[in-house]
Amino acid sequence: MYLEKITTAQEAWKQRHAQEIARAEAASVACEDGIPVKVLYTPADAPADFDREVGFPGDFPFTRGNDATGYRKKLWTVSHYAGFGSPTETNTLFRRMIDHGGVPPYMALDLPTQLGLDPDHPLACGEVGMAGTSVASLRDWETIFEGIKLEDTFVGTVINAPAAVFLAMHVVLAEKQGADLRKIRGNLQNDILKEFTARGNFIFPVAPSIRLVTDTLEYCARHLPAYWPLNVCGGHYPEAGANRVHEVAFAFADAFTYIDDALRRGVAIDSFGKGIFFLMKTNHTDLLEEVAKFRAMRKIWAMRIRDRYGAKDEETMKCRVLAHSGGSLLTRERPELNIARTTLACVAGVLGGIELIGLRTMDEVFGIPAEKSELIAIGTQHVVAHETGLPHVVDPLGGSYLVEALTAEFERKVLEELERIERIGGMIAAIESGYVRKAIAQDAYATHLAWENGAKVKVGVNKYRIEENEPPRQPYAYKPEEEARQIAAVKQLRRERDNDAVERALARLVDCARRPASSESNLMAPIIEAVRAYATVGEICGALRQVFGEYAEPTAF
Amino acid sequence: MIAAQRRIRVLMGKPGLCGHDRGIVLVVMALRDAGMEVIYSGRHNSPESLVEVAIQEDVDVLGVSILAGGHLALCERIARLLRERNAQDIVLLAGGFIPPEDIPKLKAFGVKEVFRDGAKLDDIVRYIEGAAAERATA
Repeated sequence: MYLEKITTAQEAWKQRHAQEIARAEAASVACEDGIPVKVLYTPADAPADFDREVGFPGDFPFTRGNDATGYRKKLWTVSHYAGFGSPTETNTLFRRMIDHGGVPPYMALDLPTQLGLDPDHPLACGEVGMAGTSVASLRDWETIFEGIKLEDTFVGTVINAPAAVFLAMHVVLAEKQGADLRKIRGNLQNDILKEFTARGNFIFPVAPSIRLVTDTLEYCARHLPAYWPLNVCGGHYPEAGANRVHEVAFAFADAFTYIDDALRRGVAIDSFGKGIFFLMKTNHTDLLEEVAKFRAMRKIWAMRIRDRYGAKDEETMKCRVLAHSGGSLLTRERPELNIARTTLACVAGVLGGIELIGLRTMDEVFGIPAEKSELIAIGTQHVVAHETGLPHVVDPLGGSYLVEALTAEFERKVLEELERIERIGGMIAAIESGYVRKAIAQDAYATHLAWENGAKVKVGVNKYRIEENEPPRQPYAYKPEEEARQIAAVKQLRRERDNDAVERALARLVDCARRPASSESNLMAPIIEAVRAYATVGEICGALRQVFGEYAEPTAF
Repeated sequence: MIAAQRRIRVLMGKPGLCGHDRGIVLVVMALRDAGMEVIYSGRHNSPESLVEVAIQEDVDVLGVSILAGGHLALCERIARLLRERNAQDIVLLAGGFIPPEDIPKLKAFGVKEVFRDGAKLDDIVRYIEGAAAERATA
C-alpha cells in the first residue's frame, strides 16, 4: 500500500518536472564499475524487508557494522605507514615509537628481500635498502629488535612471497628472548595471490605459494594463536587499475582459495578465520558507492563464512576491513587538493564503518613525504574523528534509499563476478589463465582513456589546470654505501656462522619441500631450523626455488 | 621502401625488481591499438635479457618502466649493453616514476626519451611512430 502510494506520487512528480528530468537523464551516469546511478531514489528502491536484508549492527550478517554501537565502542585506528633505513636505523625508530607509548608502524622491506634475494645477488644491484629495510638473515632481525621485548609489542610486516621465513625469524627470536609464543602478537601480509596479478612481488608458482600460506596459517593456529598471519589485500587491485567490483571480488576469491586449502589440510575455520583481515582502498571517487562497498563486503563475507564454510563463531564471520586512501588518485598538479581528496576518502571509510584508516600524504607523488605532510595526513583523520560528529551514530547512512540500493546492487555484482571465477575453475585458474590480469588491464585502460579524453574529470589535471612549478622534493635516492654495507654484512655472516649446519638445514628443507603438502610436511619446521642456523633469506628461498621453480606470468592482454 | 611498410616492432619490459606495471601495460595496450607489434616481457627482467630479446626480435624500440627508484643504474646498464652489442640504433625509452632532474642523466646514458607517469598515451604513440620512421630512413 505504502509503496504503491510512493510509486504513484513519483509518477506525478515525474510529469510535473518532465522536461528537466528528461534533460538530466539524457546523459547516463554510472559508477566506474558500471552500476547505474539514477537522479532520485525513493522507498521504492530500498530493500522490501528491512529486518531481513539490512538488520542491525553487531548482528549477523553485520551489514550495518561489526559492533552494535560502532565507533562509540572503539574509534577506528588511525594508521600510518612509514619507510625505513638500515636495520640499525629501524631499531632506533622502533624504540623511539615504543618509548612514546606507540607500536612500531608496519615494516617496509626492500625489493630484494621481498623477492627472496640476498643483497649480493646480481639482480639486487641498485635496489638494496631502497623501498624499505634490507633483511638478509636472523642477524638483521636481531638488530632491528635489539632491546625490544617481542612479547610486549605488535610487529606488522609487509612481506608476502618469503612470509614464512619472516614468521620463522620472529619465532626464533621470540624463543631466544624466552617469550611465551602464545602471547606473540603481530601480522604478516602473506597474501601471495594478489602479487601474481597486481603487486608483482612473486617468487614461486601458484600452488607451492599457497602451500606456504597454509603452512603459516596452520603453524599459527597451533602455536601462535594471538598472531594474525594473513591480510587479504583488495586494495592493490584498484591501484593496478581494477574497478571496485573487481577489487572486492578478487580479494574474496583469494581469501576463499586460502580457506579451501587450509580446510583441506584439516585446519578448522574457527581456529584461523578470526586472524584474516582485509586490506582495501577507501577512495573519494563515487563516494557513496565506497560506503556501500564496505557494507556489502561485511554481508557477503558473513554469509559465505557461515553458510559455505560452516563457521560457528560469529567473530569468524565478521569481515574486518583496514583501508588506505589510494595513491594513484593523487595528483602532482595542484598537490594541495590531495588533502581534499584524502579527507573525503576518510569520510567514505568512516561512513562505511571500517576498522582502520590510513591516508596518503599530499606530497608522496613527489617522493618521500615531508614531516609536515605526514602530520597533516594524521591530523585530517583527527578532524573527521573529533569535529564532524560522524562517529556518534553507527552506520549513519543505513536506510538511505540510495545507499541501500547501491549496497544491494554492489553485492549482486560481486556475487556475479565470484560465480564467473568459479566457472573458470577458481582463482588459481583465473590467475594462471591471465583472466584476472586482463580484467584489471581493461579496467585501467578504460579509466585512463576517460581521463585523457576528459570524460572523467581530474581537477588540476584535465580541468581547472593551473600552471605552476613542482614543489621541492626529497626523492628516493640510491645509496651505494648502504648497499655496500649490507653486502659486506651478509658476506661476513657467511664466514662466521657454522656453514655445515646451514647446509644440513637447507638439505632438510629441500627434502621436506619435495614431499606433497600436508601437516606432516609443513615447511615451517625446517624453515625455522634453517633460520636458527642463520641461513639467509636468499638461501632459504633458493632452496625452495630448486624444488618449486619460479612463476612465469602470463603477458598477453 | 620495404622497411617503411614493416609494422613497428616494440619490446616493452620491466627491468629490475619493481612490480608496478599499471603504466607499462597501458602503454602496451595503446601501442597495440595503434597497430604496432608489441612484445611484453613482464616483470623482473635483467638488463641482459631485455637487450638479448630486443636484438633477437629485431625491434625498433625498447621501452622500459621503473617506479621503484632503480632507473639510473638500470638504464645506464641497458644503454651500455646496447652499445656493446652494436645495437644502439634501437630506440631506448624509459617511463615511470622518474624525477625531472634525472631526465638529463638518463638522456646522457643513451635513453632517447623519458615519459614520466602522467604522460599521454597519444604522445607516446606519436613519438614512437616518428622515431621508428626516422630509424627506417637512417
